Amino acid sequence: MQHVFKLGEHEYQVALSRARQGYRLHLGERSIPVNLHREDDGSARLTVNGVSERVHLAVRGDEVFVHLDGASHTLRYVHPLVRLARQRHAAAEDEIRAPMPGSVVALAVQAGQSVTQGQTLLVMESMKMETTIIAPRDGVVEAVQVEKGQTFDRDALLLTLAPEKTA
Amino acid sequence: MNLKLSRWPFDTVLVANRGEIALRVLRTVKKLGLKGAVVYHALDRHAPAVRLADRAIEITGATPVAAYLDGAQIIAAVQSCVAGDRTVAIHPGYGFLSENAAFARAVEAAGLIFVGPRPEQIERMGDKVRARGFVHQAGFPVAPSAVEDDDPATFVARARAVGAPLLIKPSAGGGGKGMRIVRDLARLESEIERARSEASRSFGDGRLYVERYVENPRHIEVQVLGDAHGHVLHLYERECSVQRRFQKIVEETPSPALTPELREKICETAAGIARAVGYRNAGTVEFIFGQGGEFYFLEMNTRLQVEHPVTEQITGLDLVAEQLRIAAGEELGYAQADLVTRGHAIELRLYAEDPARGYAPTTGPILRLIPPQGEGVRWDGGVAEGGEVTSAFDPMLAKLIVHADDRAQAIVRARRALAETVLLGCKTNAAFLGRLLRHPAFERGEIHTGFLDAHPEIAAEPPLAEATVHKLLAAAALSTRPLRDVADAVPDLYAALGAWRN
Repeated sequence: MQHVFKLGEHEYQVALSRARQGYRLHLGERSIPVNLHREDDGSARLTVNGVSERVHLAVRGDEVFVHLDGASHTLRYVHPLVRLARQRHAAAEDEIRAPMPGSVVALAVQAGQSVTQGQTLLVMESMKMETTIIAPRDGVVEAVQVEKGQTFDRDALLLTLAPEKTA
Repeated sequence: MNLKLSRWPFDTVLVANRGEIALRVLRTVKKLGLKGAVVYHALDRHAPAVRLADRAIEITGATPVAAYLDGAQIIAAVQSCVAGDRTVAIHPGYGFLSENAAFARAVEAAGLIFVGPRPEQIERMGDKVRARGFVHQAGFPVAPSAVEDDDPATFVARARAVGAPLLIKPSAGGGGKGMRIVRDLARLESEIERARSEASRSFGDGRLYVERYVENPRHIEVQVLGDAHGHVLHLYERECSVQRRFQKIVEETPSPALTPELREKICETAAGIARAVGYRNAGTVEFIFGQGGEFYFLEMNTRLQVEHPVTEQITGLDLVAEQLRIAAGEELGYAQADLVTRGHAIELRLYAEDPARGYAPTTGPILRLIPPQGEGVRWDGGVAEGGEVTSAFDPMLAKLIVHADDRAQAIVRARRALAETVLLGCKTNAAFLGRLLRHPAFERGEIHTGFLDAHPEIAAEPPLAEATVHKLLAAAALSTRPLRDVADAVPDLYAALGAWRN
């Protein structure tokens, strides 16, 4: 069974199987011998292609955090059901999402209103800094999902634009 | 430098602050044999400072920040610590109430000791506009400017007359909040309104001023110390030019820009300004330093600075201990010539933010935290494993400070310490700091306040090597239940055969 991890902007399809010793990671046409051994001090020994090194790992929900060779990385396990749902969902550019956690300072538009590309949709505040959220394209505001003063997390849905009519 | 007073006029020091600075102040308080107390909002209940304090008092507010800004509530909390004829000193840290003259006055009116300057000194120097006027009159250089308060009706016209590029600043502000650069005067009025909105909400005071913006200057500041007996010394400079959105990211001392002659000139100017105020407490005089070596007064911070540890590393002084001795009425007890500096120190601010996404703040749990260790490595942190980074407070998580014989060795030490720092669960600027420390222009000391804008490659995340991607996917796959379960469900016999097909 193929599973998907998101790392940065890329998604990788992988599978894992048992091997005589440890496991094999299947990535495209490649099959890489891998293993992970937890140490007593909370770190772990990661072995890839027969070479071992010390890593630090933490898992929370679908997120895997890895400290490898002096740098930290985050991978997100994309659940198969989420992938399926996403394929049927609205185009991403119809959804205006929060670039960072914060709160709504001012709403500049309301549902049903026509907007032009670059027009201010709302002003948000994060860490005492104001950020202006602008329209990514011309269109009509379909719905406003937040109210003035409301706080939200990163990637929260703020507004939706009506889907573009295909000519 | 006698740190152990036989009789302190207070037996408890309460920190009216949070995070790394609350912990750092409490460490010195306990080292001096005094009792340490702290106020905290419920979000900080499990913070390291709350655990270290002998006494921790919960405060509340409409927002978490509002709780730490509620001077009356904090003073009432402090009075609950007072026993018998002993009294309590309040250390305000930086930010929050540290430059609030009304708070300092209320502390003294309550019979408590404020670890800071006299209230009238905060009023004169803590208010940027008043400070500029004072410094200008005392004969020190300031930049061309227009102050709204002088005549609010003509502010926009006077601002326009100063000429572009302009910098709009909140009169009551600090920390870069509410500051805006205007290069196109057509946008002056809208930028003034935006700055006013930010200033009102950040400081409860929407008054502004503008000054000529010097392109690509360095930010060099000088640490000063003054006691209640009229002695004022400087503790040399700090170079804080690497900034984003006017907030410092990396600070170091000595400044790579100064010749011995310029160093003495700028440090003596700072001491002269502090002497002109009769300054008491630790303070910092900030200067804008132009490419031609000219400098002028920017502002004075009448409190401990975030970046004070680099000064401590090269002078061997504990600035919090000095603040407490001064608040206790002690004389400094040493002269300028007694202050000998050693080596080079660099501070890196570890922020919960994503430099590749415009330095947007990040949030998340601290699932794993292993601070760096070793000779010449200092970690001033305010978060602990199991804690949570929220958007309620400033995104600074910790400061990593290194000290070595010279700048080149300090950079090497900083790189190693940074690579050893493990913080998992919340995205930080650690990788960005690593790229900065490896940048040739930074290595050469060629920095200015526009450095990061001029070198956007430092903030951008480079693509990962294929081998690194394989390792990360392996680590993730082996740590993820659904993958591991499927793999382990295969009978050993088949696994032993090694045959696998999709």
